[in-house]
Amino acid sequence: MSFLELVEGPLFYISGTIFLIGALWRLIGIIRMGRKKDISPPKGSAVAGFFKGNLRHFFPRGLFAERTWMHVLGGYGFHLGLFAVMFFAAPHITFFQERIFGFGWPALPRWGFIIAAEIAFAGLIVLWVRRFSDPVMRMISDRDDHIGSWLTFLVMLTGCLAMQEAHDILRAIHMGIVDIWLLYFPFSRLMHAFTFVLSRGATGASYGRKGMNP
Amino acid sequence: MSLAQKNKSMRSGVLLAVILTVIGLVFAQVALADSSVRPPGNAISLPEEAGPSNALGQRSDSEIWRDIYGGVVANPSSSTATGQLMQILGDDWRLFRTNYILKYSHWVLLGVIGAIVAFFLIRGRITIRGGRSGKMIARFSMSHRIAHWFLAGSFILMGLSGLIILLGRPLLVPLIGKEANAVMTSAALQGHNLFGPVFILSLLIVTFRFMRGNFFQWADMKWILKGGGLLGGHASSNHYNFGEKTWYWMVVLIGLVMSVTGMLLEFPWLVDTLAWHQISTILHAIGAIILISVALGHAYIGTIGMEGSIDSMLRGEVDENWAKEHHDLWYEQVTGKSAALDETPDASAKEGTS
Repeated sequence: MSFLELVEGPLFYISGTIFLIGALWRLIGIIRMGRKKDISPPKGSAVAGFFKGNLRHFFPRGLFAERTWMHVLGGYGFHLGLFAVMFFAAPHITFFQERIFGFGWPALPRWGFIIAAEIAFAGLIVLWVRRFSDPVMRMISDRDDHIGSWLTFLVMLTGCLAMQEAHDILRAIHMGIVDIWLLYFPFSRLMHAFTFVLSRGATGASYGRKGMNP
Repeated sequence: MSLAQKNKSMRSGVLLAVILTVIGLVFAQVALADSSVRPPGNAISLPEEAGPSNALGQRSDSEIWRDIYGGVVANPSSSTATGQLMQILGDDWRLFRTNYILKYSHWVLLGVIGAIVAFFLIRGRITIRGGRSGKMIARFSMSHRIAHWFLAGSFILMGLSGLIILLGRPLLVPLIGKEANAVMTSAALQGHNLFGPVFILSLLIVTFRFMRGNFFQWADMKWILKGGGLLGGHASSNHYNFGEKTWYWMVVLIGLVMSVTGMLLEFPWLVDTLAWHQISTILHAIGAIILISVALGHAYIGTIGMEGSIDSMLRGEVDENWAKEHHDLWYEQVTGKSAALDETPDASAKEGTS
């Protein structure tokens, strides 16, 4: 078995399974924590607040827009670019079809993939620079944040370096780092990809029940 | 002569006559065949002047090739250059690239690294005179810092991948072999092409974000005359000193050349004149070597070479004593206080000296 077959085969399935079980375990754990019973009479809907809280946080507050525009732009650029690259790059769709789902879907054209990747890279660099150069961000960032950022960067970088699809070793390096990323994901702050719904929702529900805007 | 001898002589004569007759008939047939060559009945008769009367011409092969090599214009059936049989610039381009760029680029870079190491060994780390004051002064905003590191990040990726593409064959092949170099070059090429537009975007942001304060002033002339303080004496400067301003304009102008030539190389269909592509590869390589060389010095003086410099780009603020020493005019402008150095630092000041 070649290195490529190993990282695309058994190692991928093992890390993918750990990713799924770990992510579910953490999500269920958070949901099961519940919250303290609120005995005050509700002045609004907590459920509506849950959804409102989630939607409201997609837009920067007007008061802070001037100070936050750069990382808001970087954040959207990175996340949307990564999403497009991850799920709509032709080689990824082929991989999903052959290894996981058994079916495929339309892919981005090559130029679309390249633009999405460039936006994602630009966004990630901006976000990481902000992490170490903003005094508050630097204070609240720890090793986990930096490892998560760098692992994601390396996954993206190795993927782009293998774009010519001419050398198995480049693909194998990319897949090896993808496996590590999947293993690291559930046990790190990369989980924010799933938990942000719960945290925004919890804040929104709390505010909603009090009849306030989240 | 006996009868037997007569008979023998006669047979020989007959044999010779037969042989000569056969040979004569063969030659006669060949002559007859030559004379019977004629156009087929359905052939179209062209006027005599329409066909090439002298296809081979009167010139020797060497004369013809000399003309072609000299750029003679003709009507070739296929050519990258209209009307030109041979793109002779290609040879000059190849020779220049091989004999100068590939031959000396790495020596230039090694020379710069050597000079930096030598400077560090001789001069040592430039410490803050009077030590750290413990009081900080804002120097770069968050957007300045993000713009700077955004460009720095894309520049490092572009520089490393570009050097692999440029010097992989002459330098890496002897070390790691052709196969490994092919893999690295393939990866570097993809990365270089991908990060190119990111570099251009970051260059544009830096150009506009840092333009204010980077125009040359009279104080820069004094700074030059004092060698930036290296020749002794204090060299006053504003927000940016002459070296920083020069670096800024090098980044902007050479970066512009790199961007334009890079786009021509990435999208060759933008122009159909081969000479532009050849000039682009040369300018791109020379620009890269210059930028990387100066960037090495910039990175050195901004980090280990000078105490307190990195704070400005990491934290956005610098120690007051650092500001007084290196950017006294700027310090006086933003604080309204004198930049005369206090030579008796408090206890906390000694903490950061090296």
